[in-house]
Amino acid sequence: MEREVIEEALYEVIDPELAINIVDLGLVYDIQIAESNEVFIKMTLTTPGCPMHDSILNGVKNRLLQIDEIEVVTVELVWEPVWNPSQMSLAAKKQLFG
Amino acid sequence: MPTGNIKSTTDIRLPLSFIVFGLVAFVVAQIIFFWNSASLLQGQFRIPEIWSAVHLLLLGFAMIVAMGAMYQLVPVVFLTSIWREKLGYFPLLCSCSGVVIFAGLLAISPAQSIYGAVIVVMGICMFLLQMAITLRQTEKKSIMYAFILTALVMLFFTIAAGFLLAYSFATKGMPFHESIFYTHILFGVVGWFSLLIFGFSYKLVPMFSLSHDYPTHYGKYAICSYIMGLLFVSVSFWIQIAYVQAIGFLLLASGFTLFTYNMKIIYRNRLKRKLDKAFVFSLFAILIGNVIHIIAVIFAFIGLQSAFHWGILLFSYIMCWIVFSILGYLYKIVPFLWWTKQYADYIGKEKVPTLKEMINEKLAVVLFAVLTISVVGLIGSMLAQIGVGVWLAQGVMMIVSMVYAQSMILVLFK
Repeated sequence: MEREVIEEALYEVIDPELAINIVDLGLVYDIQIAESNEVFIKMTLTTPGCPMHDSILNGVKNRLLQIDEIEVVTVELVWEPVWNPSQMSLAAKKQLFG
Repeated sequence: MPTGNIKSTTDIRLPLSFIVFGLVAFVVAQIIFFWNSASLLQGQFRIPEIWSAVHLLLLGFAMIVAMGAMYQLVPVVFLTSIWREKLGYFPLLCSCSGVVIFAGLLAISPAQSIYGAVIVVMGICMFLLQMAITLRQTEKKSIMYAFILTALVMLFFTIAAGFLLAYSFATKGMPFHESIFYTHILFGVVGWFSLLIFGFSYKLVPMFSLSHDYPTHYGKYAICSYIMGLLFVSVSFWIQIAYVQAIGFLLLASGFTLFTYNMKIIYRNRLKRKLDKAFVFSLFAILIGNVIHIIAVIFAFIGLQSAFHWGILLFSYIMCWIVFSILGYLYKIVPFLWWTKQYADYIGKEKVPTLKEMINEKLAVVLFAVLTISVVGLIGSMLAQIGVGVWLAQGVMMIVSMVYAQSMILVLFK
């Protein structure tokens, strides 16, 4: 399984408050693919105690499980390193800064 | 490495039920105020109908909405689950039914109002117990924690003073009735609501503006100054020394100004340039709240004794700081709650609406603008003693409250 396929799928997980996908927001820290078709995602959120906490995490699982080859998805939410705006893509910055 | 795999959501039916009841109480309070425009004009705030409307506004709307918001916000802000969440339906039932009985009896038979007060107190005590145990579970004690905890302590004292007040009405034999009455207002309106809004603003303002790298140490000074101010002013109600009260109001204003300054820094560090209109309205409320605190200091230092002017200042404080803040934040919170219920399970599976698509931003601009104009018109008309102005402004406010409540209810059909 290609890492790009997973990344591409994660572009479709949108933060409903900011209306920007989690990859462009720089929330995804690491993607690991095990041989057993298990995918491990390490990610953060823009702020600890984000009300969309569970929704976004479930969104990641839901989207990746739609890919046929993936059988198990584990999402680890971390607060370190702390998310900062420099992690956003240019497209996300443009959308936020107007 | 710290991880955050904690269930942070709550049963949204609970906060939503509180909020829907609060919206209905808000509309009913505005109708009663409209019906009693003549009393408002004469500054007769202490008559049964106005008491009833004030309690519907403060207890039925502001208090009940704040309780509902806490059931939703405490888990996400402090990353902990509500202790025995299902028990939350007990405060819901007691507080809502109690408020209806209490406000009704205040209007019809104030001497009997203690029966309604007992039911409200039972609900709030259960709520306080639940929140106290929930907060004890919090690992990280931030400035938000300090604000919310002190707000809850203030609520406890408010309830205690309110209960004594209702007992005093029932028995007509309670000494220090006036002192208890002013302490009840101070701890409830100023202590509980302000500290609660301060606390949640430290979460909501950076979150809605996507602000980063901001200091929060001004919050420590703000809370110390504000609590000292509350103590000084409350003591002044019992010992009747003018300069103690003036110092108290100065401390309150200093605390509020420090909070405003901290919010300004957070606002300046924001990444989101185009902010949601309802959220901007909540920020606007902070500015007005600060100005009202400064006016109170001036009133206290010049030794103004006029109950009419203090009454109007208190009314301005309730409307422009507490009600405006809540209405602004609610415009964000209700769509979030409903989105969570309707769409949280579908994110990543199919296209779901964004939160912005759940609300009518254009209507928000009109509503908040008209609300501001009507409140300014109402205060101006009361000061200038223009009867038709009070009637007109309160009429507009009543219509705005209906449209606001309707727009929130409509979100629940999306």
